[in-house]
Amino acid sequence: MSPELLVALVIGAGLFGTGVYGALSQTNLVMIMMGIELILAAALVNLVAFWRYLHPDVAAGQMFVLIVMTVMAVEMAVGFGVAIARFRSRGSVEMEEARELKG
Amino acid sequence: MTAQVFFLAAFGLAAVWFGIVVFRTHSMVRSALALLFSQTAIGAMFLVMQAEFLGVLQIMMMATEMSIMAIFMVMFMMDPGGLGEMDMKHQRKLSLAAGVIAFLAAIGVSVFADWGPAATVVPSADEQLRMLGIELLGRSMLIFESAGLTILTAMIAATAVAVQMPAKKEDAS
Amino acid sequence: MSTLILVLFLLLGTYFVAVIEEWSVTGRLRPAGPVRAALRLLGTESVLARKPDRLFFEVAPVLLLVAAILSLAIIPLAPGLIVTDLATGALFFNAALAYVLVALIMGGWGPDGAYAMIGGWRFLGQLIGYAMLVVMPITAVAMRSESLSTVVIVQSQEQLWNILYQPLGFVLFALAGMAMAFVPPFDLPTGAGDLAGGVEAEYTGVRRLVFRLGRMVLILSVASAMTVFYLGGWLGPVLPGWAWSAIKILVVTALMLAAGRALPRVREASFLAWCWKLGIPLALVNIFLVGVLVLVVPL
Repeated sequence: MSPELLVALVIGAGLFGTGVYGALSQTNLVMIMMGIELILAAALVNLVAFWRYLHPDVAAGQMFVLIVMTVMAVEMAVGFGVAIARFRSRGSVEMEEARELKG
Repeated sequence: MTAQVFFLAAFGLAAVWFGIVVFRTHSMVRSALALLFSQTAIGAMFLVMQAEFLGVLQIMMMATEMSIMAIFMVMFMMDPGGLGEMDMKHQRKLSLAAGVIAFLAAIGVSVFADWGPAATVVPSADEQLRMLGIELLGRSMLIFESAGLTILTAMIAATAVAVQMPAKKEDAS
Repeated sequence: MSTLILVLFLLLGTYFVAVIEEWSVTGRLRPAGPVRAALRLLGTESVLARKPDRLFFEVAPVLLLVAAILSLAIIPLAPGLIVTDLATGALFFNAALAYVLVALIMGGWGPDGAYAMIGGWRFLGQLIGYAMLVVMPITAVAMRSESLSTVVIVQSQEQLWNILYQPLGFVLFALAGMAMAFVPPFDLPTGAGDLAGGVEAEYTGVRRLVFRLGRMVLILSVASAMTVFYLGGWLGPVLPGWAWSAIKILVVTALMLAAGRALPRVREASFLAWCWKLGIPLALVNIFLVGVLVLVVPL
């Protein structure tokens, strides 16, 4: 396997690890969304690396990247919609204060 | 070591470093813009990997997306400037362990898996664009359309959730 | 040789934009104006606000300048006279100018001042209005040229300039471009009357000079983009290509700044409403019309 692919995958792993840490450790909804963005960014890096170093002649690889970007945008829109609604009714988007959501 | 490896590693390390800064800084605007620069570095990695369209698209989209993130951070955080050094973390050990395990597991997979021979010839940027366009409006059209529809649905749903209905006036008569 | 011409274009273009800007404000053409203003700013003390976010404060003007210069990289002045002919040139133009927003937010947040911060966030609202109106007319332009490369886009206008082929797109792009360069009717982030300078308010001395310089390059870049996308770039009779490019860019700049002065400033809420309720449907109509035209009248 090529060293380029390995480097890209290791970078992707680093971003993924950082994202997992952030999404689990932060108490604020917006910060958690940042962690999720990092996880999705790691997915993007891996997808482009696989496209480039394994199947550069298949355009479906690039299309997959576009779909993941769509997911990022959708996640932002819905997340902020929920955040606004939550902030309006409870005055904060802190996770520790949202324990009543637990059934 | 080729130039490609060098630039990939350089931009990649920048991306990871900014990604770590996101959760280390106390200032919320800095945090959002660190995420932006992390994403921009990833866009630069795409450019290094000769995916010109995707790289430029990533750099363009993330500038707007993360700036919007920044204003929401300022709106929803108790201490957006980070001057109060407020603590905003919980379950530190668990999340650190989860992050490290995820990192090591992903590395393990990428090292030990057999990825097969690497491709060397990449279509030119023009050719890539043409292929992507034909793919989007040909074989993958349904997926692409449903992605567009998903965005539209998400826009409407998010607006519907977020918007505050004006309180209904009591009928005087 | 061509590097020299391109650098000269950047410097002279910025200078002329500065002269025209002064003319649009004061009504007088003073060739020495920009030099005098630059010297005055260089001589002013650089005041630092209390408790600033130092990093953002210093980086913002530079980022504005760099983003504007980068966006000029895909502007062809004549056949072969271009910094880099990217296959995704038209998209790259947007990508570079998206960082104007980042620079303004950084510059607004950095100095820890109310006016500056409001100015920065106002530009974010403005972007949500104009962003679609920049991209969608460019889509229609790319549909005609069947390429995102700016050189091919100019070549596709050999028969008929895009301003005549898709006038609706030109109007939308011109307004959105003016909002992107925050020139007068849309100068919300720096609103001279109501925000005391907005983002610029806390900048003095050299930093303000760099900020102003970035703004001039930004105006030059938007005018060049209008020329390339809609006015046929270097195309024109008799004169050489670069001369046509220069003339068109200067005329567009002058018209843009003069027209802006005559219009009242737009509130950001009504700007957003106009953009989303009228602008985007019109842009979609434009894409549809151009699509039909491209199929029916292959010009």
